[in-house]
Amino acid sequence: MKRLLAFSLSIVASGVVLGAADRIFTNPKPDVHLKRLFPNAVAFSPLTGSPLHFTAYSVDPQKNPSSDPLGFAFWTTDLVPNEHGYHGPIHILVGMNMSGVLTGVVVDYDSEPYGYFSVEPKEFAAQFTNKSIRDQFRVGGDVDAVSRASLSINSAARAIRDSSRMMARALLTPDAVKR
Amino acid sequence: MNRPAAARLLALFSLSALALLFLLATSTTIRAQQPPAADPWGFDDEVKVETWGDILRPQALDIALTAGLIGFALFSFSRRSKLLKYTTLALTVAYLGVLKSTMISVTDIFRLVDLNLPEFKYSVAWYMFATFAVVSTVVWGRFYCGRMCAFGAFTQLLDVTVPKRFRLEPPLWLERRASYIKYGLLVAVVGYYIATKQTSVYRYVEPFWMFTRSANALLWTMLAVLLLATLVVRNLYCRFLCPVGAMLGIISQVTTVLPIKRWSECKTCKICERACEWGAIQGPKIIKSECVRCDDCERIYADHKACVHWLMIVKKERWAREGVKGY
Repeated sequence: MKRLLAFSLSIVASGVVLGAADRIFTNPKPDVHLKRLFPNAVAFSPLTGSPLHFTAYSVDPQKNPSSDPLGFAFWTTDLVPNEHGYHGPIHILVGMNMSGVLTGVVVDYDSEPYGYFSVEPKEFAAQFTNKSIRDQFRVGGDVDAVSRASLSINSAARAIRDSSRMMARALLTPDAVKR
Repeated sequence: MNRPAAARLLALFSLSALALLFLLATSTTIRAQQPPAADPWGFDDEVKVETWGDILRPQALDIALTAGLIGFALFSFSRRSKLLKYTTLALTVAYLGVLKSTMISVTDIFRLVDLNLPEFKYSVAWYMFATFAVVSTVVWGRFYCGRMCAFGAFTQLLDVTVPKRFRLEPPLWLERRASYIKYGLLVAVVGYYIATKQTSVYRYVEPFWMFTRSANALLWTMLAVLLLATLVVRNLYCRFLCPVGAMLGIISQVTTVLPIKRWSECKTCKICERACEWGAIQGPKIIKSECVRCDDCERIYADHKACVHWLMIVKKERWAREGVKGY
């Protein structure tokens, strides 16, 4: 009887753990964030392509299919899923225009214990706006360091740098991205 | 420390160092890139192959200081010296507390629950620190709590600066029961995390954020109350409330490799039991989950003028000399 009880208890416990493990997922509807990254866009594609990205359009592509997009938005968690901070990946939506300049970043979710004074404040995200992907992204250099939270800051800066460079390699040309 | 124990210790440490090196070798795949000429992009980080030197150089100071502090803590422990212990505590508060704010936290247990650990190659000092916390607990018991936790070190330093007359010793029955609160808190907070996935709850059960010096009014108030209470009841948080201490207590209860020795006289003598600031001695028994290896009782054991074990030997020798019957 005791054994049965212990067994069923452990089943319930592992069920709870597994169920809980599934609860963190990328924000499925980041419309507000997209608008913030591309205020002039009238339409966004769904999250598609390889690597996964949203495309921002200044003209509705259904009306004028040949018009150039404004840029792309993508999740760092899709492009560099192995980039872990102190507690797992930091979910950052990055916007990049067609010449490899970031239009902004949005930190959507993180579980960093010291996130509240490192990657969550507006100042962290703000410093990436208008940053070229050719910049160094060195914490303590062109990205502000936050003492006592270096693991979180370093990881977030690496995630933004690596994912936007991956995206540029896939969708832009080296000539379009000014040196 | 006697020789076989020291040898065992050395073996254990070299083993764990080997394990660490193995982890180091396997955990990182260093990106091999095409030669720079073939890459039209020429990003600064990708033209050259990232070597271990590149990865470790920015961390070198941190790694050296962490290793140095661990080494010093072990040295102070092997000497059973009060002065060295308090020096360790001060260094711990200064470096691991004020400068780095690195402590084993209940969030580390959260991360074990969903296996979200930081990347090894960028966090070598943290891995050294965390590995030492666990390994030292397996070897000696809650050594980490007694010497390497910045908050614990802070309250211990507080305890030696506050005059004795302010102190309140909780009665034994209350102390024994209160020491179980931390296990309840551990279960509750981990349960809460599993159910909600909110890491931010940790600041309401742990004062360790104190060293980051950023929090809301409620948290500052809670901290002030806790610290005021700690002035009266020493190491209140560590003994009764700390979930990490509870976790390490469970580990040390199961597996302390080198426990504190007891003499046969300890069955009746109460000197150490009264001297123990952590309420970890109960008659002849040491409650491993409460003991933080502060050395106080071990200093008494070694003191030929205070410990009954040695006093008895001296007495028996005198009886033998004087020809008392039976000796």
